[in-house]
Amino acid sequence: MALLLLFLCTVARAASPDELMRRAGDAMAAGDLDAAVELYMQVPAPDKNGDEGQFVNARMQAARLHFALKRFERAIEAVDSLLEVYPDNIEAKSYRGAVVDAMMPEWKKLLRDTVHFVPALLKGSLMTLLLVFFTMLVSPIGGLLIALGRISGIAAASRLCWFIIWIFRGTPLLLQLFFIYYGLPAIGITLKPIPSALIGLGLNYSAYLAEIIRSGIQSIDKGQMEAAQAMGMSYRQAMRRVIIPQTYRVILPPVTNEFIALIKDTALVSTIAMVELMRTADQLFNASFNVTVLALAACVYLMFTTVFTFAFERLERRVGAYEER
Amino acid sequence: MQPLIELENVVKAFGEHRAVDNVSLSINKGEKVVIIGPSGSGKSTLLRTINCLEPMDSGAMRFAGKPAGYVKRDGKLVPDKPKNICALRTRIGMVFQQFNLFPHMSVARNVMEGPVTVLGESKPRARETAMDMLGKVGMEGFADRYPASLSGGQKQRVAIARALAMKPEMILFDEPTSALDPELVGEVFDTIKQLAVEGMTMVIVTHNMGFAREIADTVIFMENGSFLAKGTPADFFDRQCDDPRVQSFIDKIF
Repeated sequence: MALLLLFLCTVARAASPDELMRRAGDAMAAGDLDAAVELYMQVPAPDKNGDEGQFVNARMQAARLHFALKRFERAIEAVDSLLEVYPDNIEAKSYRGAVVDAMMPEWKKLLRDTVHFVPALLKGSLMTLLLVFFTMLVSPIGGLLIALGRISGIAAASRLCWFIIWIFRGTPLLLQLFFIYYGLPAIGITLKPIPSALIGLGLNYSAYLAEIIRSGIQSIDKGQMEAAQAMGMSYRQAMRRVIIPQTYRVILPPVTNEFIALIKDTALVSTIAMVELMRTADQLFNASFNVTVLALAACVYLMFTTVFTFAFERLERRVGAYEER
Repeated sequence: MQPLIELENVVKAFGEHRAVDNVSLSINKGEKVVIIGPSGSGKSTLLRTINCLEPMDSGAMRFAGKPAGYVKRDGKLVPDKPKNICALRTRIGMVFQQFNLFPHMSVARNVMEGPVTVLGESKPRARETAMDMLGKVGMEGFADRYPASLSGGQKQRVAIARALAMKPEMILFDEPTSALDPELVGEVFDTIKQLAVEGMTMVIVTHNMGFAREIADTVIFMENGSFLAKGTPADFFDRQCDDPRVQSFIDKIF
């Protein structure tokens, strides 16, 4: 009888939350984590007047200890036992998410992040592609005009074109973009981000391509121009029909180089409030601190440069084919 | 008879060096003039002043009785307006030592290019003309080949067809066989000879005495920018020349 009483007493004492918390604390201090977890889990849910904080604290402690011992399932059980009583507890819910996360295999995590980030990145890359295609369209024309001006033999045109090349090739693209977007308003020209980016990239790449095109034109044998002119062609006709078509195979490899650099250089426009691939990646990274998003952005850039590389290699073979036929 | 082309006191200098030094020449329709002489004697330069590829410094040129190619401005001789020079060039064909075919065009396109781009002919018509001209030089079977796949002799024959397609009134040949392997000279020589027989007016600058002997009406020996001797082939080849320099050059060649 006395034994039974003692037992009941013990149970009654054990059932006291304060006592349980104290003993769990002791167990922790003694390094007996298993015992501590057991005790924390015994802390009962409070009744109406009970201490909510103590209960939450105990179950969270238990969950954390399980987690520390890599017993993820049991950590989830601990959190779930808490959520059963307080389904809206924010701390428990976010901790449960973190544990589920930790339980997930790496490849699954990667897959989830990819599915999560890729749509936004692709949306951003549409702007990148727009910038690339626009510049690819405009800069060869601008470059050709500048190159023709350079070799025109007209002193004023030649100097002007030299000057344009000197400025745009001699200063950083980033600086040029800043100048166009932040600097021009000072003299009354205010441009939106997209026009600023298009103008900056267009001028910069025109200047680079101009020198490539010029060297291409000058690499064509002088006899070609003479033969064209000797049959009565004007300088313009000779350029258009005879000289420039022959430059394609000479200039295509360096132009491919420039266009691949261009794909990456578009990232610079993220600094003038343009939301493209780089800026999207940056925003997502800052919101999540998840490095995967940066790797994914790198993959998208790589995908673009790869497609371009192969496309231009094919074009190169076609343009130079007359040498082998 | 009025000469087709007249050159009067032509001077062309490169810096101090007078490549063409006060040369006058008149060529009748149908006449074949062959200019020989050592390298650097100014033969090619003279030829190139005729179609203004090399603008002359002073002198005068008349084509079909009218001043051509150059105008006087402020007492200085300058090339005429580009439009007029282009028009003149359509009437004077030129064949180059290095052929200068357009490598990015097929053989037929090479020959069509002038008529289509310069004369504005329709492509089907230009192609027809091109095939005729290629037939004339024996290259009609190569119409769709590209120049890179042709031998030197074949290239030069295409270049001749290209010049012919413009229906020129005269053709300038600038050392047409000098870049050819010896065994390929014959085919080009025969082609040019056939043109000569058909009555084409031509000026041929060459080291090949065959042209002077077999084709020329007039042979000119040029040295240091001037004509040292001028005469019929018989004058040059069938008897000793008065001028020892001319004779020694001819002796060296044979």
